[in-house]
Amino acid sequence: MNPSNLLKQLAALGMAAATIGLTANTVQAAPASKTIRVLSAAGVDAASPEAAIWNKAPATQIALQAAFPGHGSIVGTPVTERITAQAVRAGDRLFVKLAWNDRNANTAIKDTGQFVDGAAVQFPVNGKADTTPFMGDPVNAVNVWHWRADGRTENLVAKGFGTSTRVPFEGLKGTAVRTNSGWAVVMSRSLKVKPDEGASLSGKGTMPVAFAAWDGDNQERDGLKAVTLEWWQLRF
Amino acid sequence: MSQRQLAYVFDLNKCIGCHTCTMACKQLWTNRDGREYMYWNNVESRPGKGYPKNWEQKGGGFKGGVLQTDGKIPPKEDYGGTWEYNLEEVLLQGKGNQVVPHEKPTWGVNWDEDEGKGEFPNNHYFYMPRICNHCSNPACLAACPRKAIYKRPEDGLVVLDQERCKGYRYCVKACPYGKVYFNLQTGKSEKCIGCYPRVEKGTPPACVAQCVGKIRFVGYRDDKDGPIYKLVEQWKVALPLHAEYGTQPNVFYVPPMNVTPPPFEEDGRLGDKPRIPLADIEALFGPGTKQALETLGREMQKRREAKPSELTEILIGYTNKDRYRL
Repeated sequence: MNPSNLLKQLAALGMAAATIGLTANTVQAAPASKTIRVLSAAGVDAASPEAAIWNKAPATQIALQAAFPGHGSIVGTPVTERITAQAVRAGDRLFVKLAWNDRNANTAIKDTGQFVDGAAVQFPVNGKADTTPFMGDPVNAVNVWHWRADGRTENLVAKGFGTSTRVPFEGLKGTAVRTNSGWAVVMSRSLKVKPDEGASLSGKGTMPVAFAAWDGDNQERDGLKAVTLEWWQLRF
Repeated sequence: MSQRQLAYVFDLNKCIGCHTCTMACKQLWTNRDGREYMYWNNVESRPGKGYPKNWEQKGGGFKGGVLQTDGKIPPKEDYGGTWEYNLEEVLLQGKGNQVVPHEKPTWGVNWDEDEGKGEFPNNHYFYMPRICNHCSNPACLAACPRKAIYKRPEDGLVVLDQERCKGYRYCVKACPYGKVYFNLQTGKSEKCIGCYPRVEKGTPPACVAQCVGKIRFVGYRDDKDGPIYKLVEQWKVALPLHAEYGTQPNVFYVPPMNVTPPPFEEDGRLGDKPRIPLADIEALFGPGTKQALETLGREMQKRREAKPSELTEILIGYTNKDRYRL
């Protein structure tokens, strides 16, 4: 796809997101600046997707597209079309809630051809939006929080396609519930981490962020995923 | 590209279908920890559905040098059940009077053993042991976006790094031989490792060393004094399985010849045609089959006439040193 086509497509998606029928008062149309406002709420526990604070936090509908297939093995079309993102800062911890439609819960691999649902939040480790959102590159790493429907939430660092590596970090938490239409997941982590543990969110006014979703029913894994093709901004 | 390539020749005329190779491999590598359903080495009766079931229709490999992405991940039922028997209960504790599996078996690794093809008394089959082909152009390696699969530079064995693997199973889809397996317990893929810890010590892989029929030869492709080079390059009697899959396999087979007597004619006498149709063997080993069988026939005839035959000497492989060059 040439850059002008990509821009046109993204513009069209922005229009589509703006015209989607919204179901909750707090859901906002995606602004042109692609910003997700972080609600600051000291002393609350936002770890559960059903916590009351999520009724107050601004929700942003985000259109997703097929990720650029970084390898010839990756074929197919992901099914998730949009995701709703919310963010809450409570003390020194950031909570990100993602909700999206997913007809069947794929929570376990019981046969050789099964895959689990998943979702991810990605940040540039250097905090800069000139890092490529397509899994980073050898110089500019990305930090990925990967929730998997089998109950695992993994802290990953990647430096390009096919390089994501799990970085042991106890402080990343993920909690999920099934909703009427799919999944609602909250991932959370302390703002500050050691340099080798991921992206520090401490002291930031804004932070680039990207999202992804996998539908296990559609054999989605790895680069077969629905993603934001460019960075959004978390505004603290 | 590896510096050297380890390779195998399996002489199908010597295979008696005893499965000792399979048991050696299973005892060493796959009888635990989510590998129970895996047979890195299996012996299948041909014609037959094989293991996993109908693996020749699973897709994968290369066409015109292009990696095929339409391969299938065989479901667990195509590999077969991993049932256990109540042996201890019946035989040691004296409870019950029948040894039975804990579940009703419907398919297994060797379900269609000895069925073969054709009508009695002219039915036929032969045994074909299979391991990872440690291909020179492995589709599993090409298919992995994470570079978790690599060829060891020192011997060309294809191995799968358990640290890099994330269980995406593109390799399982891509291997046209069905020789990469997904471990449901670890969430990662696994395969035959060519017993590299043994090879590094100059010891042949377990499946090779334990072979009762001494059908297996192992050595390096470039060793011109070794049995691999002589059987594959010089005598051209050892052929790759399904070379058309494009992966350049490094397991070569001496095709079956006279493993069954000729078919009976109407009057009950033995005929003079081979019982196994040439086309069936060619479907596995390609256009070199006819020439290989002619060479084998010619050399065997010399032997019958008490004339010397270097080829049959090699194929007999009197000692371990004759068969293994590591």
